[in-house]
Amino acid sequence: MEANVLEIKGLVKDYPGVRAVNEVSFEIKRNVVHCLVGENGAGKSTLIKILTGACERTCGEILLNGAEYCARNPKDAREKGISTLYQELNVVDQLTVEENLTLGLEDTFCGFLRKTDKVKKIIAVLKDLEPNINPKERVGRLSVAKKQIIEIAKAVAAETEIIIMDEPTAALSESEINRLFTIIKRLREKGVTVIYISHRLDEIFTLGDYVTVMRDGKHVATKPISEVQDRSELVQLMIGRTVIESYIPKETQAEEPLLELRNVCNHKLRDISLTVNRGEIVGFYGLIGAGKTELARAIYGADDYSGEILLHGEKLGGTPEKAIRAGIALVPEERRTQGLFTLLTIKHNISAMNLKKISNLGLINTTRERNAAKSYIGQLNIKTDSMDKETSKLSGGNQQKVVFSKCLFANADLLILDEPTRGIDVGAKAEIYSIVRELVAKGKTIMFFSSELPEILNSCDRIFLLYEGEIKAELRNGNDINSQDIIHIVTGGAAS
Amino acid sequence: MSSNCESTISRGYKAKRIIKEIYAYVILVVVVAVLSMLKGELFQRGNFLFPANVANLLRMSVPILMISSAFTLIFITGNMDLSVGSILSLTTVVNAILVLNGFSFLVSLIIVVALGVLLGTINGFLVMKLRITPVIATLITMNAYQGLARYLVPPGISSITNTETQKMPEWMGFFSKGQVFMGLSWAFIVAIVLLIALVILQKKTVFGKYLVAAGGNRTAAELSGINVVKVVWGVYILLGAVSALAGVARASYLLIGEPYTGVGAETEAIIACLLGGTVFSGGEGSVVKSFVGALIIVCLTFGLKSVIPEYWQLLAKGAVLVFAVVLNHLLSKERIAS
Amino acid sequence: MRKNESNMKNRSLAGKLSNESYLNRVMFLVLITLFAIASMTIKNYFSTATALNLVANNWYIVILGVGVTFLLVSGHLDMSVGGIVAMAGVLSAYFCQPANEGFSELGQGLGMPYGVAILLTLLCCLVIGALNALFIAKMRVASIIVTLGTMSIARGIGQVAALGAQRSAGLPDIFGVIGNVPLFGPIKIAAAIAALLVIAALFIEKKTSFGRRTYLIGANREAARLSGVKVERHIALLYLLSSLLAGITGILLASEMKAGISTRGSGFEFSALVVTLLGGASIDGGVGSVLGMVIGAMILGVVSSAAYGMLLRPEWQFILKAIVTFLAIIAQRYLLDRRNK
Repeated sequence: MEANVLEIKGLVKDYPGVRAVNEVSFEIKRNVVHCLVGENGAGKSTLIKILTGACERTCGEILLNGAEYCARNPKDAREKGISTLYQELNVVDQLTVEENLTLGLEDTFCGFLRKTDKVKKIIAVLKDLEPNINPKERVGRLSVAKKQIIEIAKAVAAETEIIIMDEPTAALSESEINRLFTIIKRLREKGVTVIYISHRLDEIFTLGDYVTVMRDGKHVATKPISEVQDRSELVQLMIGRTVIESYIPKETQAEEPLLELRNVCNHKLRDISLTVNRGEIVGFYGLIGAGKTELARAIYGADDYSGEILLHGEKLGGTPEKAIRAGIALVPEERRTQGLFTLLTIKHNISAMNLKKISNLGLINTTRERNAAKSYIGQLNIKTDSMDKETSKLSGGNQQKVVFSKCLFANADLLILDEPTRGIDVGAKAEIYSIVRELVAKGKTIMFFSSELPEILNSCDRIFLLYEGEIKAELRNGNDINSQDIIHIVTGGAAS
Repeated sequence: MSSNCESTISRGYKAKRIIKEIYAYVILVVVVAVLSMLKGELFQRGNFLFPANVANLLRMSVPILMISSAFTLIFITGNMDLSVGSILSLTTVVNAILVLNGFSFLVSLIIVVALGVLLGTINGFLVMKLRITPVIATLITMNAYQGLARYLVPPGISSITNTETQKMPEWMGFFSKGQVFMGLSWAFIVAIVLLIALVILQKKTVFGKYLVAAGGNRTAAELSGINVVKVVWGVYILLGAVSALAGVARASYLLIGEPYTGVGAETEAIIACLLGGTVFSGGEGSVVKSFVGALIIVCLTFGLKSVIPEYWQLLAKGAVLVFAVVLNHLLSKERIAS
Repeated sequence: MRKNESNMKNRSLAGKLSNESYLNRVMFLVLITLFAIASMTIKNYFSTATALNLVANNWYIVILGVGVTFLLVSGHLDMSVGGIVAMAGVLSAYFCQPANEGFSELGQGLGMPYGVAILLTLLCCLVIGALNALFIAKMRVASIIVTLGTMSIARGIGQVAALGAQRSAGLPDIFGVIGNVPLFGPIKIAAAIAALLVIAALFIEKKTSFGRRTYLIGANREAARLSGVKVERHIALLYLLSSLLAGITGILLASEMKAGISTRGSGFEFSALVVTLLGGASIDGGVGSVLGMVIGAMILGVVSSAAYGMLLRPEWQFILKAIVTFLAIIAQRYLLDRRNK
């Protein structure tokens, strides 16, 4: 038996205009937890997609147990020995837990469903993971975390040699994460190899045996975890150059409240009260599902809430349209589905939030529109050859800059940024941070919602920590801040 | 306090589920009750519920019952087929032509159902292979099939019927009009068998489960190795075949090949499914309840015909559709809220 | 190198042809080609009369197409326009037929002056549009289902008001005027009204914030909402607009025929949708144009008249329409895919 269960040699994947995976070669040892890390856009997802048969490689070789491996589709991959736990929830709400677990694996007789031992075995795996799920319950009635557990159970029950886990802890609570870790360790004892992808570097140190770092589609390093000195070495490898500037405390100034929330509640939020002062960058940090997006959307009037939200001491109207008129703009969480009109051109996107500014009595003045677009393309350094280009053809970072331009063109005093750097490359991230600083220098106020602690720590003056829809702590940024404590609080620990 | 809150939610949820389960039946009972209280002149022997009336009604309504039950499946996959009415028209005409030209019942049945399979295959090809939006794709085939049905009727006459040289055989009406069991026809018995078969297909087979998966979460279905294209295409083919079977029943009932007979059948099938609580966006639906929905439409159509003039039909149909939409919306909305 | 870059900049500043104008040009070429082929193969096809007839026979599809185009750009369907055409025609006749002239039920109306009758008819059409708006914009039910229902309702009202037939007896002379004012040849004033509506629509589509919002909603409804567009209100307005245009069409057609016919306008909803699709619009929203729709209407007109000229049976119209639409969708997708690669 070979020592390496999987060998990747010179793997390349080209998309039109981009090389997503560039000559990647490394080996994965049998019976280990092999972690894969890298910034967004580093090529991890594409690599995984090739392994699971979701897309085809351009060239290169993959050897599974020394034999050439090529999966046509996820089912084929599973049959050949690689099962996958995907990042997005892939359960069918309308089916029961049991039906979901056996989806695609049914034992049949002439097309009729049969109850066999296989079903019992899969359910046993589920019970092992989480005894409190009723297999007859419809999945649509379960929480996100429980849905995630169903998927984990399905991947584990497949009993393949290799299990790929793509950010499995994103939606889980601390106790659920611990349970998952126990299971992963047990899998390793059974001889399974786990390829583990996570942005949470701590998990990699607790769990991993080996780590592979990718950057810009290239392989940077593969080494045993024991040889990695600390987080910063890993971060250094991932980022390549130091871009994270440390936070510079601002000289204190007179506090002038701009936005006030009083007892705001809705389906996710629990009794949130806070004040944002003019000229501040206020950070909101919490894990996925902590209620960050819900808070941002409630302030913007995109979701319903009870309680009061006041801007300049006046109650906000409760619709995005009124929020914009009052001077608030939102950079939404999902760029492509909520922020951008990908079918439309850059100039049409930039003017979208403030058509009044480019029109008289409903008639659009195209010169004014072009001038506005030109000025923002210059100011925010949007890389494009024409303002008449559809935004679908831009890179993630440039798309995000278009969304920023749109919000700036709306003349907002208060900008709500919800995960503004998600899915964009390191260089663009740094540019976004500097844009944020410039805006504050110009007198704007920023609310910065993020699930990446480093960017919160290096940008924000004040930080609110969210957990399960509640504000658990408020911190002033500075030298004495301890990221361990913060993690403790946002994962459900008591605030000290 | 929060647990208290949760229990009220789940109690509300249960109540809504029960309402969702039974409302189609309740509406049917109410409609029948109201109609049986009316003394319409058109009802034989005065009462709507008189056995002969009911049997006659059921013999007449076989096509819509068949199409509505099968239509549920297309709704479950989150797709749409507007061409069923045109398939019904076309197959009615083709069946009449075949019979008129001396083909036996069985042979013409097989040919017509094969034609239905072909038409369904074309629909599935446009939607699943060429990826044309279901509404647009089936609107195109709806017009093409309807045009074909009209084209097959020679110029100068309005339907395929007896000519000087060719006569419809005696047995033509037997399938839909012959009373074999308590006044019911073979066609109705076939419709019931079809209903049972569809229920088994939906509840007991992999195909039925894959339908829900394809309509509920297509990505998840594909990642689980389900060939969604094949599954949905299969439903289009099935629906084509069922519509063709309905065409045979219709031709046998009318004794002529009437090229406009299927106009509006797609709307009726949609109403039936909505009354049966099918969720338009996919994932949920019950064949039996759509069948009940179709019965409601049939009773209303028949009942109204006897109390008000024919030209009220269309308005009534539109009103029922709007009513069904509102009902469906209210119930599904509350489901999401819980 | 530097020079190269500045060259590129210059070229791009001139602006690349947008997908929309590219498609419009291609479809215009297709129109010319089809017309040429028809002229070469069909005797006497190439004539002023044919060209004039093209306009005279297709103006109503263009008016309906305006409303349907705006809706399709915003990502919505309207299948109720054909029904509204029938309803408007019958109601406009019913409202101005004399009130107490008892020679038959179909000859008896409400005896209103023609102007009032028209206004009231348009109001009724707006009610149908409002129903669409309520269900689609507010309750977010799929537009195909709702408009299939309102199609039945509108046509049903027409049938009830015309007792399943038509209303033509005892109509005042003024009823037949507006649809029959001759301009030149077979072209009547209605075609001029259509032309005016198209010009207004072209302007609204490209030069006003109303038109822009339509594109924003179609391109991304959620992003439009978060950008401060009152999405529900806008969609409601579009449905009202579409029903109003259908009402105008119905009144003009009834006037042209001097009768309110309850079967009028059947299949118009499909024709209006077809010409819009031929013009490059997509049901997914965000793309489409009034200009393209007009070109599409002319293509459909050429195909229909050529079929007529080739003495094909009228049943072919259905099938041809279907085939043309199918080909147009496939060809346009292919062209755009290749171009945007």
